[in-house]
Amino acid sequence: MNVQMMNDLAVHDLSIHAADGPIVSNVSLSLGRGRPLTLLGESGSGKSLVAQAIMGNLPARVHATGSVVFKGVDLLAEAAGERRQRWGRSIGLLPQEPWLALDPTMRVGSQVGEVHRYVKGKAASDSLAATRQNLAEVSLSAAEALYPFQISGGMGQRAAIAMAHAAGAELLIADEPTKGLDAALRDSVTARLRQEVEAGRLLLTITHDVVVARALGGTIGVMLDGRLVEYGPAEKLLAEPQHAYTKALLAAEPSQWGRKTRATPGKTVVTAQGLEKRYGDRVLFSGFDIEVAAGEIVSIVGPSGCGKTTIGNILLGLTKPDAGAVVTDAELSPLRFQKLYQDPPAAFAPHQTIRKGLKDLARLHGKDWSGIEASCRRLRLQDVLLDRLPGQVSGGELQRFALLRALLLDPAFLFADEATSRLDPVSQQDVVTFLLELVEETGLAVLLVTHDRDLVEKVSTRLIELEGADGRTA
Amino acid sequence: MTIIDQTYQPPKGGLGATRLAGAGLLIVLAGFAIIGPAVISSDPAAQDFGASLAPIGGDYLLGADHYGRSLLARLAHGARLSFGMAFLTMLAAAIPGVLFGLVAAWRGGWAERGLEFVATIVLALPGLMLVLLLLAFSPGNYGPLFLGLALTLWVEFYRVTKASTKTILSQPHVEAARMLGFGSRYILLHYVMPVITPMLSTLAAFAMATAIIAVSTLSAISVGLQPPTPELGSMIVELLPYFAEAPVHVLLPAALIFLLVLGLQLFAQGERA
Amino acid sequence: MAMRNYLLARLLQAGIVAIVVGALCFVLMRVLPGDAAMRIAAGRYGPDARIADAAEKVRLELGLDRPIAVQFVEWLGSLARFDLGHSLVTGRAVAHELLVQLGASVWLAAAALALSLLIGPVVGLFGGLKPGGTADRVGLMGAVTFRAIPPFVLGLILMLIFSRQLGWLPPAGFGSPREILLPALTLALGLAAMSSRVTRNAVAAVAQAPYFAFARYKGLPESVVVRRHGLRNAAIPVVSYLGLQAIYLIEGVVVVESLFAYPGIGHALVHAIVERDVPMVQGTALTMGLMFVAIAAIVDLVTLWLDPRMRKVV
Repeated sequence: MNVQMMNDLAVHDLSIHAADGPIVSNVSLSLGRGRPLTLLGESGSGKSLVAQAIMGNLPARVHATGSVVFKGVDLLAEAAGERRQRWGRSIGLLPQEPWLALDPTMRVGSQVGEVHRYVKGKAASDSLAATRQNLAEVSLSAAEALYPFQISGGMGQRAAIAMAHAAGAELLIADEPTKGLDAALRDSVTARLRQEVEAGRLLLTITHDVVVARALGGTIGVMLDGRLVEYGPAEKLLAEPQHAYTKALLAAEPSQWGRKTRATPGKTVVTAQGLEKRYGDRVLFSGFDIEVAAGEIVSIVGPSGCGKTTIGNILLGLTKPDAGAVVTDAELSPLRFQKLYQDPPAAFAPHQTIRKGLKDLARLHGKDWSGIEASCRRLRLQDVLLDRLPGQVSGGELQRFALLRALLLDPAFLFADEATSRLDPVSQQDVVTFLLELVEETGLAVLLVTHDRDLVEKVSTRLIELEGADGRTA
Repeated sequence: MTIIDQTYQPPKGGLGATRLAGAGLLIVLAGFAIIGPAVISSDPAAQDFGASLAPIGGDYLLGADHYGRSLLARLAHGARLSFGMAFLTMLAAAIPGVLFGLVAAWRGGWAERGLEFVATIVLALPGLMLVLLLLAFSPGNYGPLFLGLALTLWVEFYRVTKASTKTILSQPHVEAARMLGFGSRYILLHYVMPVITPMLSTLAAFAMATAIIAVSTLSAISVGLQPPTPELGSMIVELLPYFAEAPVHVLLPAALIFLLVLGLQLFAQGERA
Repeated sequence: MAMRNYLLARLLQAGIVAIVVGALCFVLMRVLPGDAAMRIAAGRYGPDARIADAAEKVRLELGLDRPIAVQFVEWLGSLARFDLGHSLVTGRAVAHELLVQLGASVWLAAAALALSLLIGPVVGLFGGLKPGGTADRVGLMGAVTFRAIPPFVLGLILMLIFSRQLGWLPPAGFGSPREILLPALTLALGLAAMSSRVTRNAVAAVAQAPYFAFARYKGLPESVVVRRHGLRNAAIPVVSYLGLQAIYLIEGVVVVESLFAYPGIGHALVHAIVERDVPMVQGTALTMGLMFVAIAAIVDLVTLWLDPRMRKVV
């Protein structure tokens, strides 16, 4: 018996060609019932194109060769119209950022119901009953009459799953299903996807997040530059990675880092007592005390919207608290209190080259350019990057430039506001490593705000838990 | 979302070509308006009844109107008047508009609320209505026309400047710059101006187009500038009764207005057109 | 909730319109050469007999020697009671004249808007379905051209073509649909030049929107995708743009009515300005201003109905 027969979906020697050459080469993979497949890779690795080739919605200017056999039929041989007939009916898509994929002007219930009405051709009353059933399955009954702008990201993802249930598609393609979600929501979405697998659906997931791949299990394919560089059962691949890229990817996960020991804390740099902040009637936090000393890395963790960032901004004097006071070491110039931002491109003027920005900064403070050059070498930032605009360098490089910029002022306190959450794991590791070295060498005090518990556990000297306003913890 | 990624869309071609065409057209017309009146010796008001409705290409290069006045001279003076009036109006609207916009964005609070209130009042009526009401004080004069147009046009400069400056100032890179020790002057010159200048140039071209249309329209409905001022709108209306004999004469000033406005709009829109 | 807020804002705008128009006309009344009492008397009772007596009465009653602020408040008070006075020229009650003219202007504005909606969104739809295609380019050129022609020039050209050359339509007047056609078409072409581009961009944006693609991935047939997810979303920017077009429409009505000697409020306003008939200026300007507010309010309501996001109370 042919091995392939046991696979419900088998991709063989798939290549995708653009006008100027192949962008995906010779990808072969398969998945079956109870054996989900997760494609892991960075943006630009070609993982989304593979999904598009299976779905049948490749961009107009590229074409696929090879074969995609689904239940014994080669999809690539089908005409566009036939492939479209499969959408919803046999292949369903779970979109990334579903709050963008839902029609903003239509109620959630109607968006599920139209699948029954127009795809399945049921009568209006039957559609309504079936819709309620689908929504109940994903615990979204309360959202039936809500519009997409009234629901959360996690609810949006569940609404998309309800639509897939409505259509009854056998194969689900989940495209970055956890993009833009915090850790708690990410885990609930992956748990929901696991349930889909257990219910007998075929699942192909595209992600850049190793945590998601690990949670889903089944088979993992690692993609790099349009090639499938490693492919195998999840447990084996995660335990004994073969390819250098996979190894680096896994090693860069904070949970795999070694825990560093640090010198004892020095003089207190900033203290705050009885901080309170409210937005309207909602109290974000109150009676909050914090103290950060030189050489310390203090972390604040908590769910989205609990006020973590606000605390950092209050310490820096960027936000005024509604109650409480901040005391900083009077000997320190305000310039020695600096911040690293979550979204590195937003922290640089978009139309100014990096060199111009750094030159102006050096001139403003009478610093020597050679010092900047030395820091560049230290942070492994090549000279050519200096003449680019912030949008033209990678997030990891830009965050290192932000670090460099702050270093120029000999900082005593640095507030890192989710500073690595948008970076790929390897870049994250780079930035954090540099940060740790600095703390070691200069006695810098760091306030780390993040939702990544693994990261916190590996690097911080002290951890502060912030509860959500509604009492929910991370 | 990557699954419907537009990465493989063809790159946009011809960026800036329309803008360039608009600029070219404007340079030619501005040349005619600035150099024309100086070079063309004939007086736009000099009447020569023997040459009434003289055809194009005869003694008069572009013919003469019903009073025998040189159309070329009148068109050149008309272009200068339209251009000059539009330019001054634009400046009178842009300078306070931009300054107030910066103040409102920078200061916020009462300054912003006060300015918003004034803007709301001005915007409550369509602009032309306000100009008409002011013109009622002294029809046919430059003063109320200029004042009315500037009064309605500054709001747009104010709103755009305020909104974009506010957006820029709220961005992390400005916060970062302040923490790095940069002052307001640096932020204004290096962060705000480079972003709002292109918007303001677009707005300025639009404001001039609006002013040209308004000035000629008001003359044409005989509440704006009055004959014998060589104003393009009133020239059209003056010549209209002679359309059967000299149709091109009527169309010349109309074409000039059209080209002026077209040039400004192409320049303003550029990539958006 | 949201609806009430929008309507309140429009009500406030209507109040501002009345105060601005009233204030300007109040000042106008007093800076014109000649005796203010005489003019006010004429404006109130008509310029017929015994004007001097009436003027004396007005002088005593209003107390023109009283503080200007008091006089101004009284002026606004009579506005609030819709007491618009009499025309200085014809002597007839301003309100009476306005009633007749308002009908004519509303017809013109409605005809122009309807015609423009037949042209603009249709042209825009074809352009937006295939951005960069032939229909898009032709539509763009048309829009750029018509936007660069001032309405009065466009009106003249249409008049010259359809009345003088072809003799199909009357150049001026009012009464039959034939007479409304040329002025309405003039306005409609200008309006359509703008709305066609807005439609085109809205259609192109919806066609590229993730939710439009996702509707297809759900398995919906193309006609259902367009009907349920395309039309409403593409209509939202087009309708809210109508609010801005109201400015063009009202300004255009003034210009085009004067040009075609169409007996509406815009025509009357221009006449009143030339004759410096202050009560008529005030009445016509006020009516046009309120018409503008009314259109904007209708646009608000339609947008609210189309777009649930607008119903959010911020």
